[in-house]
Amino acid sequence: MSALLAVLVFGPFVCGICSYLLGRYSKEMRNGFVLLSTAAELGLLLYLSGEGSITLSFPDVCGLGIGFELGGFHTVLAFLAASGWFTASVLSMEYFVHVKRRNRYYMFWLLTLGATMGIFLSADLYTTFIFFEMMSFTSYVFVVQTEERAALRAGGTYLAVAVIGGLVTLSGIFILYHQLGTVQISEMASAAEAVGNKTVLWTGGILTLVGFASKAGAFPLHIWLPTAHPAAPAPASGVLSGVITKTGIYGVSILSVTIFLHNSTWGMMLAVIGGITMILGAVLGVLSIDLKRTLACSSVSQIGFILTGISMQCLLGHHNALAVAGTILHIVNHSLIKMVLFPAAGVIHLSTESFDLNDIRGFGRGKPLLAVIMGVPMLSLAGVPLLSGYVSKTLLHESIVEYIEMAGASAWFFHCLEWVFLISGGLTLCYMLKLFFCIFVEENIAQKDMEKHWKLNRPGAFIAKASAVVLLAYAVCMPLLGAMPTKMMDPIAAFGRGFFHGEVPEHAVEYFSLTNLLGAGISLSIGILVYIFLVCTMLRPWHADQDQLYINPIPAWLDLEFSVYRPLLTVLAEILLLLATVVDRFFARLLFGFVPKCIFFIKRFLMEWWAQVYYLFMRETYIPRPSLEEFGDDEHFAFYANHPTGQKGIMHSFGFGLLIAGIGLGIVLLCILLDII
Amino acid sequence: MQSNIWLLLPVLLPILGGLAVLHLHERSRRRFIVIALMVAQLVLLIPAFQAGGEELHLLELAAGIRLVLRLDDLGRLFSGLVCIIWFLVTFFAEQYMDHEERRERFFGFYLITLGAMMGICFAGNLVTLYMFYEMMTLCSFPLVLHSGTRESFAAAWRYLAFSVTGAALGLMGLFLLQGYCSTDLFTLGGVLDPAVAGGNKPFLLTVFLIMAVGFGAKAGMFPLHAWLPVAHPVAPGPASAVLSGLITKMGICAILRVTYYLYGWEFLSGTWVQKAALVLALLTILMGSTLALREDVMKKRLAWSTVSQVSYVIFGIMLLTPTGLEGALFQVVFHAIAKNALFLSVAAIIYRTGLTRASELQGIGITNPVCMWCFTIGALSLIGIPPTGGFFAKWKLAQGALDSTLGPLAYVGIAILMISALLTAGYLLPVVINAFFPGDWFDRSALQPQKPLWLIWVPLLVLAAAAVVLGIFPTLVSPLVEGVVYALF
Repeated sequence: MSALLAVLVFGPFVCGICSYLLGRYSKEMRNGFVLLSTAAELGLLLYLSGEGSITLSFPDVCGLGIGFELGGFHTVLAFLAASGWFTASVLSMEYFVHVKRRNRYYMFWLLTLGATMGIFLSADLYTTFIFFEMMSFTSYVFVVQTEERAALRAGGTYLAVAVIGGLVTLSGIFILYHQLGTVQISEMASAAEAVGNKTVLWTGGILTLVGFASKAGAFPLHIWLPTAHPAAPAPASGVLSGVITKTGIYGVSILSVTIFLHNSTWGMMLAVIGGITMILGAVLGVLSIDLKRTLACSSVSQIGFILTGISMQCLLGHHNALAVAGTILHIVNHSLIKMVLFPAAGVIHLSTESFDLNDIRGFGRGKPLLAVIMGVPMLSLAGVPLLSGYVSKTLLHESIVEYIEMAGASAWFFHCLEWVFLISGGLTLCYMLKLFFCIFVEENIAQKDMEKHWKLNRPGAFIAKASAVVLLAYAVCMPLLGAMPTKMMDPIAAFGRGFFHGEVPEHAVEYFSLTNLLGAGISLSIGILVYIFLVCTMLRPWHADQDQLYINPIPAWLDLEFSVYRPLLTVLAEILLLLATVVDRFFARLLFGFVPKCIFFIKRFLMEWWAQVYYLFMRETYIPRPSLEEFGDDEHFAFYANHPTGQKGIMHSFGFGLLIAGIGLGIVLLCILLDII
Repeated sequence: MQSNIWLLLPVLLPILGGLAVLHLHERSRRRFIVIALMVAQLVLLIPAFQAGGEELHLLELAAGIRLVLRLDDLGRLFSGLVCIIWFLVTFFAEQYMDHEERRERFFGFYLITLGAMMGICFAGNLVTLYMFYEMMTLCSFPLVLHSGTRESFAAAWRYLAFSVTGAALGLMGLFLLQGYCSTDLFTLGGVLDPAVAGGNKPFLLTVFLIMAVGFGAKAGMFPLHAWLPVAHPVAPGPASAVLSGLITKMGICAILRVTYYLYGWEFLSGTWVQKAALVLALLTILMGSTLALREDVMKKRLAWSTVSQVSYVIFGIMLLTPTGLEGALFQVVFHAIAKNALFLSVAAIIYRTGLTRASELQGIGITNPVCMWCFTIGALSLIGIPPTGGFFAKWKLAQGALDSTLGPLAYVGIAILMISALLTAGYLLPVVINAFFPGDWFDRSALQPQKPLWLIWVPLLVLAAAAVVLGIFPTLVSPLVEGVVYALF
């Protein structure tokens, strides 16, 4: 069994390289091979997940040895990855028909799958980090796949954040390993308790958090996400948002369940980060007028929800049953939902060649299939009862409410957090309504012409059959899961609970009780109100003579990346350059320029002073021998004599003295060598 | 003479062979002889490695001043590394030098330099080391000024001036140490006579700093670094690769000998001189990486990168902890591999296209995919991205820093390692990105992947593969490294 676990991680790497070689001979075979590989991966995972917990380790590989574990939370995440990749591969077949350089894309596609599997199945932080770095680099390739200017710029930001985050995390892991002596997830908690110096441990923990949080898209390191996800081809955006952000979440979870197990300070910190991320992403989502960007901002917001869940399970300590279940289920939900929405956006793009809401407006009119495929996940994410998103959001909400009673003096903070949670949930509905109405209800400026144009872009069906089936299957899942939460969703939560040290709930959650429905009701009403009073009025200003276009009210300068991070990095680089240049030149200049000049000036000063003293006593002008001027012009290298023009003038020069000294040294050396002395 | 004559052969063979090659003008015969000599060299290393630690006394200049060859684990590590990479680069050079004049001179001195380096690795005492050290400097001098341009002459003279100054400082240390040592042979744990040395600690520490700075010149350590970014780039491609990747390591070898085999780590541990050397190394690391950012000429950029990366090794050595030293030795191996891969791929691109600047390499990955792939792997290893070797070296260095009793300086050191890694990413990754992702506005219609040149590709691929394979399985190198480290501590 453990050998098969190795296949699960390393198989995709091998397949990736094979697909590249295969693709040089036949494109069809390569496409089939990629599809088959991802399907095999999913099948193998499902087969292995029935076997309970499997571990596998390779001692000494990469130095410390790497280890994998399958079971529980690992399996849940690995399933999300494998199914996400499979789905996206099916959709890629349709999406990529006319795209160039697919060979490169598919190779890195499979390499990234292997790396992601490696992260989710890792049994220690070292393994996690190794595969995390690999994934950062291999996924870069599909962010910049199109090689458009915007994609390259987004890719640059992505890579910069990945490299900086990776290095900061690495320094954190250095410290943690040194303090704990182990980075095994199962041993870190007990090792951390034994550590006396908590400050160092906290430093290590926070540094480690940075890279993982940036990959997850948490504030303030979310900057790469809203540009990089939309830049990638649609199926790839799906896995970037749905799966790859979860690798960051996985890293944060490792820290939260090991060294900071049930640590309330850590929980508070995550709660603050989560709260800001949640509301910020939601607000950006409402304001955005680009379909994929809205979805990416939505991802930021949902990551905030998940982080809040993780923080709650830290804060609640041994009462964390609800928080753990909510976190796991929200991870699953968000992943499944984004795996549908992004590829569906890609389908729209195939016909419209745009993601701008003003361009694609009205595309979905008369397309009930697409309306179901996109509408159900949208409402599910917004937390509409009877859909899966409602369940996880209710659990998260309940866990916050539960902690308010325990919080004591800081209860006000959690009241605020609860409202932030509700408002963010409302805004989720708001931007989803905006998208839905825009695509499926409203009419374009010239609806008839546009429809002709779209048809021209994509003759035949607007969605391939295979894609439609897969996406529909996802969409059907959601009401099924959501309508029978105790039968369908609780087992998933119970399956992954062990990783978080989650408690068993004392009693089954009444998902459809009045209080829970009320919470959802408040949240959803906020969303509807914001939609009516903000989106329909201010974001679509009414003009008498033309159509109501969506506008983006965010001014260009209000961009964290371009107004803060990039200038800051540039300034730092300039300062470093300046300092390095100074250091580089300093000694040479000092040695060959400044020191001789100083000596020259001091000497001249002393000479002048001596001349004055000389004149004072002797009453005649002092003539130095040899004079400084003569010294400078001397072509024979420092004559001592007053009249060097004579036959034997050379005898009186400094050069002659040196020559004699040299001969003497030579003789001495000869004597030493001949052992005469 | 003694039975251990095997030690002399790997030193003499390249020197004599090189002298012969200097007069071989016919190309095909020279090519055959050079490669045969390199194969013979590798073969000769095997009996030398097995010969054990016996000494070989060459001659006695005066009482107490003698030339001694002896091979220990450190010598095995360095000489093995040097010979294998030298062997690979030879093939590359055979192809690359088609572009250049006066090939027999190049290959002659190329071989003689190898012999001198073997001498440094095998040296049993500081006098021997110094002699071969100077010989290496002088023999690599023609490699630097090979092209004969005004620029290369200036660079070569600067190289000579700095190297000789550095070696002279080392020699001065050798003189000053007379009378404090119980023996002149390199000995595990140091040779300082505790009876004499105890009272003169400040003096001996100052001497150590002088020697470290002196030998540090070869390794490009501040303050005697200024020759390196000038001299390495003007040499022909393969020569700059070995200059950067291997010859700098001979400075490291000398510093290692002085630190661990003359002074002993216990004598230096916790003293001001340890901190001073660490600060110099850290300053160099930061300065090199930063200035590499500014360079547009690829070879200069890589030369600055060498300044920075070789000082990682000095940082590791001066931590004076077992893990730190392990990290330093791994860094020696992996930097040699990665830097050679980088220089060779840049040289291959110069050979193919004549382009020397980073900004001109737009889309070069499409025409020269193999070279740029090797460049990418070398770059990743240099930055320290797992699973390449550079990552493991950095891991060990950081653990060594944390193990040490230096306190805040250790954390500053780790921070600087990380900042330098970021800067390394900053000056290498844009090249890779431009090469492979030139943008959709880039005209690709005229580009065709070029025909294979196996003499260039094979060494490159071997080096790139080594960077990854040794990174995944560091146990292939670690027995040698651990052999050195655990004998010392």
